[in-house]
Amino acid sequence: MTARSTGRRIRPSGGYELFMWYFMRLSGLALVFLAVGHLFIMHILNNVETINYAFVASRWTAPRTGWIWRLWDASLISLAVIHGFNGLRQVLYEYLSAGGRIVAGTVTWALTAVFIGAGGYSILMFQPDEGFIKEHPLKIERTTEISSASAPPASQPISVAR
Amino acid sequence: MPQTPRAPHAYQSGTLARIVDGLRYGGGIGQWSWLAHRLSGLGILFFLIVHITDTFFVVFAPDWYDHTVAIYGGVWFDGHYYWPLRWAFRVAELGLIASVVFHAINGVGVILYDLWPKGSLYRKPILWTVQVAFWGIMLVTTPIVLYPLRKAPDQPAASRPAPPPAGVASVVPGR
Ligand code: HEM
Repeated sequence: MTARSTGRRIRPSGGYELFMWYFMRLSGLALVFLAVGHLFIMHILNNVETINYAFVASRWTAPRTGWIWRLWDASLISLAVIHGFNGLRQVLYEYLSAGGRIVAGTVTWALTAVFIGAGGYSILMFQPDEGFIKEHPLKIERTTEISSASAPPASQPISVAR
Repeated sequence: MPQTPRAPHAYQSGTLARIVDGLRYGGGIGQWSWLAHRLSGLGILFFLIVHITDTFFVVFAPDWYDHTVAIYGGVWFDGHYYWPLRWAFRVAELGLIASVVFHAINGVGVILYDLWPKGSLYRKPILWTVQVAFWGIMLVTTPIVLYPLRKAPDQPAASRPAPPPAGVASVVPGR
């Protein structure tokens, strides 16, 4: 149950609910970095008018940094989906009786699996469609030239970090 | 800690009665922070579901992906730019940012209260600090997000044939 005057959920006495109570807090700390950082990069440094397929491709397949962005996005999705659906489950439990809780618990965990699966698939299985990128290139010049010391051959001069 | 006492009341069965009871006033800023934390969390979850779905397009339909993001920027399926569409999405985007910023800061406040040994001595100061930090950040962020709306985007995405300039041709090097 929630202690409304302190504005948060009271620590459960044990078991599954206690584990999820800690999970909400620890994943929350990680999400401050992952989610707020993601929003800052995508909505302040860039925005929906510059983001397109070529942008996503350049980010996920950048030669040295691509794996970092994929790891970032995969961690963000996994933690946020579990955290969000578990939060929804906890809210639903407050309003449901025993039978309804079984349904709500099953459905929220099933949706958790579906959305981590879909998100993880997009991020990890992504293969750039070069033809499409040629026809619909990046909309921005926000390209970071790799320093000449570590630069790849001149035919491939551009790395787009974000 | 001052609280608004509320009289005990008879239990009423029924989902509606329980929801109404759940929203009853319980205790000052703690009550409102709790409500805002819950609503922002559920709002972000809804957005996340939409966002995972649209990003799923990148693996099998690049053109769907570009069309979807173009809609967020105000370009409808017919390739025309409609400013109310762009404004609506911008304002919604600001709402998303505000939700995440509030939920994150207030969440850290909750974590401090629960996991920092002295946290429980400072519940009210934490809650007020959350308010100051949230409004401070939004005061800076709101103009940044809304400023581009002052004029239409230079080139609507759909009417852009431009091939990549020489040297930028390979945006995906090293593969
Ligand atoms: C940005 C960093 C975040 C932090 C620091 C954070 C922190 C927290 C904490 C500590 C709780 C537990 C509150 C309690 O036990 O009373 C919570 C609940 C919740 N969070 Fe987050 N969270 C973050 C991001 C997210 C995201 C991205 C989502 C959505 C996908 C989300 C959705 C929820 C929901 C739905 C709840 C349940 C609300 C309730 O029980 O009233 N959170 N969050």
